[in-house]
Amino acid sequence: MTGGHATRDGENEAFIVDRYLDSLLADRPADVTDVGPELRSAAMALVAGLPRHHPSFRFEEALAARLAGTPAGGAAGELIPFPSPVVVADVADARQVALRPAVIGGVLTSAAISLAGAAYVAWRRNRPAVDPWARAIRAAARRRTA
Amino acid sequence: MARPALRKVARPAEAGRPRLARLDRDRPLVDAARKDPARFDALYRKYLAQVYNFAVYELGDHHEAEDATERTFLSALAGLARFEERARPEDGPEASTFKIWLFRIARNVVAERRRGRRRRPEAPLDLAVASPAATDVEETVVRREAAAAALRAVDGLSGDRRRAIVLRFVHEMTTAEIAAILGRSEGAVRVLIHRGLRHVAGELGTLDRDRR
Repeated sequence: MTGGHATRDGENEAFIVDRYLDSLLADRPADVTDVGPELRSAAMALVAGLPRHHPSFRFEEALAARLAGTPAGGAAGELIPFPSPVVVADVADARQVALRPAVIGGVLTSAAISLAGAAYVAWRRNRPAVDPWARAIRAAARRRTA
Repeated sequence: MARPALRKVARPAEAGRPRLARLDRDRPLVDAARKDPARFDALYRKYLAQVYNFAVYELGDHHEAEDATERTFLSALAGLARFEERARPEDGPEASTFKIWLFRIARNVVAERRRGRRRRPEAPLDLAVASPAATDVEETVVRREAAAAALRAVDGLSGDRRRAIVLRFVHEMTTAEIAAILGRSEGAVRVLIHRGLRHVAGELGTLDRDRR
């Protein structure tokens, strides 16, 4: 009996924490007094501290080509004038980038880039991104270079 | 202290059958890709970063994560004809059973890779931690330290507890989505996350105490 009550209490506590996390991740942290300060603090540390990893653009294009049944690199982009036109990203995406670190292909986003790299990035930026993370990362890069 | 009234927590009725719920918002993209495999590109671009990110956290290595990501998408494209949408109107318009299906493939691919390297020592989650641009050097250092501590704490979690925490906090998935991916009940996932969070809190608490 006691074990059953303990299990139910654990599930109820887990449920309350889950509701709190819903609100935290929606960027509307609720005032949940039943969630201890240490758990709230840990949750916020995870939200802010766990980085998002994005594959390198070279890998992305190579795999896209493979999936399309074309030889890798066959869909190479044309060189465009630099700097490229700026596309305004979604505000929600920008919020996500502001919250947590992003790592692209194992390289820190703050790494310096060469001139050739800059031209590649310019071409890459000009491609529409379907993925909101990619859009957000590009928006962050644009803000940094603005 | 009086507890707030709670709605009933999900019970074992769901335990045996993972809740592959939610109306599929990707239906048009899936239909298009079925008719013309070249249109799979839209699904690929949409989920590439998420699948890769999941693989990085699971394997702790960017190159292995790339391999796992490649295999995941190739398998998904090859098996698209077998994909079954399990949508229910009450599940709402926002979620995707395709995403859940894709993550289940990724989970299998990653598990296979982990089995393959079982004889070798398991590499710790040793990932670069970048901080958002900060003008204050001290602030940058503090942020990086906090991020590294969070990463270490998550790395200390085992199996599904770590997966649930990563899917919840990094991918911002709902409990229902995580339950479907891990093949567990929503209640079990809530408990996994709660216990994982307590572990992280304990680890970070230890760090704070050591600083004082």
